[in-house]
Amino acid sequence: MVQSTVGRPAGDRHPDKPPLSLQNVHVSYATRRGKVQAVRNVSVDLHAGESLALIGESGSGKSTLGLAIVRLLPETARIEPGVITYRRKDREVDVLKLSRSEMRAFRWSDCAMVFQAALNAFNPVLKVWAQALDTAQAHGWHDKPAIRRRLVELLEFVQLDPKRVIDAYPHELSGGMRQRVLLALALLLNPQVLILDEPTTALDIITQRTIIKLLRQLKQEDHFTMIFISHDLAIAAELADRVATMYAGRIVELGTSDDIFYRPRHPYTLGLIRAVPTVTGGFEQLFSIPGSPPDLVKLPSGCKFHPRCTFATERCQQEEPELELVGAEHSAACWNWREVQAELQRNPLHRGALNVLDGIGSEVEGS
Amino acid sequence: MSTSAPVVETARQRPSVAGWGLWRFVTQNFYVRRLFKALVTVWVVSTIIFFLIRLLPGNPVEQYISRLIETQGMDYENARMQAAALFAIDLDAPLWVQYGEYLGNLLSGNLGVSITSPGTPVTAMIGRFLPWTLFSVGVGLILSFTLGILLGLMMAYRREGVLDHVLTILASIVSSVPNYLLGILLVVWLGVQWKVLPIAQMRGTMSPGVVPAFTFAFVYDALYHAFLPIFTYVLTTMGNWMLSMKGSTVGTLGEDFVTVARARGLNDWRITTAYVGRNAALPLFTQLTIAIGFVVGGSFLIETIFQYQGIGYVLGSAIAQRDYPVMQGVFLVITMSVILANLLADFLYGWLDPRIKVS
Repeated sequence: MVQSTVGRPAGDRHPDKPPLSLQNVHVSYATRRGKVQAVRNVSVDLHAGESLALIGESGSGKSTLGLAIVRLLPETARIEPGVITYRRKDREVDVLKLSRSEMRAFRWSDCAMVFQAALNAFNPVLKVWAQALDTAQAHGWHDKPAIRRRLVELLEFVQLDPKRVIDAYPHELSGGMRQRVLLALALLLNPQVLILDEPTTALDIITQRTIIKLLRQLKQEDHFTMIFISHDLAIAAELADRVATMYAGRIVELGTSDDIFYRPRHPYTLGLIRAVPTVTGGFEQLFSIPGSPPDLVKLPSGCKFHPRCTFATERCQQEEPELELVGAEHSAACWNWREVQAELQRNPLHRGALNVLDGIGSEVEGS
Repeated sequence: MSTSAPVVETARQRPSVAGWGLWRFVTQNFYVRRLFKALVTVWVVSTIIFFLIRLLPGNPVEQYISRLIETQGMDYENARMQAAALFAIDLDAPLWVQYGEYLGNLLSGNLGVSITSPGTPVTAMIGRFLPWTLFSVGVGLILSFTLGILLGLMMAYRREGVLDHVLTILASIVSSVPNYLLGILLVVWLGVQWKVLPIAQMRGTMSPGVVPAFTFAFVYDALYHAFLPIFTYVLTTMGNWMLSMKGSTVGTLGEDFVTVARARGLNDWRITTAYVGRNAALPLFTQLTIAIGFVVGGSFLIETIFQYQGIGYVLGSAIAQRDYPVMQGVFLVITMSVILANLLADFLYGWLDPRIKVS
């Protein structure tokens, strides 16, 4: 179970068989007001070693989708219909059909999740070592010296001093340190899939950089399949191979990082990019999407984005568009994606947004 | 890829090698300071008790005189002479002289001699009656705390279920009934009206002829006699533990670390005990130490109702007869048990909740 490197040997990669594929996944919550449709009809394949970013406003269903994959949603939530297929080596399972104990084994050893609120992610009365031991033992790994060696190795990888951290209580660590400990803990059992829910939110900018560097390093090791959930487009652009824009519980645009950030075809994605402020750019060019995300109990008819969309036509009010191919690996769910393309030709993405992305690009090359 | 040297951060709040000696000194100092405070509190409280008792209307001699006049039909002069001859105490000495004597005796561990049972040292009385109180209320407290915590945890896990609703209502009713009222009701219903329990036989701390020893017969007999006090205590206090634990557990279940523990694939038992239960019980621990402190003082009414000869029962009769040394002694025991419990709480809390050490 212990290996000298952080990742798994490259041997168990099956490029043609995606480790995780979601088909037609729906999540709804029962509330007093009615059924909240948090995630609707999401289908996406995650390829081995790929990292996918889910972007969108708060309440767009990103985190719900992440939690649905490890089935940690509140009891009022229902994940149906839908199929979540997980593959590792020759094993293929439907995550939603796993029994309680199978699900318990699946969590963390196959699919680990780094949470948004790492500040409170640790039991305050147990030391870091005890919590790592708990995790390992829950998955049938009882060799204490080996667990310790592995934890030390991982703590060094996340640039923490193992001697200091291993016997510390969570409150003795800063927020950034806790986030890194959680990341180290997530790697403890060599999961194939890593879900990172807002991994850098609530951290100061310097700590954010450290975490992003670590994640990029992990990505380069190429063994992990990662899902980033973020409302920070810069981080998505920096870390993701592919990006999915979510709106009102659906994926409305899916494509490579370059496609999404340089050639967006969905008005919502375009709006998100134009809303990104820059340090150097002025505020006068900043664009904001009018209105607010829809009520998930009473969704609008047709395209769910039409009340806020500047491209909306009559058709948008009646028929909901499906994802259709707009490029080689690029799809968008918009009746008027050609209008968006034309608009981009007339009015290229203004410098504010481009600066952010260019800045990221040059940093990636330069570092 | 960046190949800069890893930035090694050290944990906050961890003493460096140089600061270690200082840190140890401070903690030791903390315990010493805490102990010193406790001693000062004992002294202050025993002083207050000493003077308060003497502010009560009547004194032992007068209580005895008025009893003689009432029961024997004596006149005041005769009764007074008889009382003075019997008690051989000087209550006319100035208060500060009495106080000095009391303090001096206290320092040498001498609590004086009972006035109404001449020749019986107060320490001997405490030694004889206190163990029964510690036994009955102690067992009651352990039972009620354990049951309350377990039921509260269960209610939180099944909140909004039938069990939760039924137990919540029961707990609210039972915990709002005062213990003496429940005691009287038990005596009246179980003992007198329905004759389910032989109330008269169950009085006292043990049956005649039973020898205190670690035998089954003795333990059984002790529990038989302590049954009603324990039952009353458990029933009237358990509701509080249940409701507090339920509230605390519901709060803990919503904590992120519980979700993360599930995501880490820990089994339910480990999460319930080490993650939810332990953190949810932390705030109740303070309440528990307060309750431990009142083990001695809280037994007063129950012991009187069930005629259970513990320290509360002794206090009751001592107050009625204004037996100053006994009252002082028992009050001192009550004070010390509260202070000891608080001390225990201070010393143990840091061990139970590592976050406390920092502040």
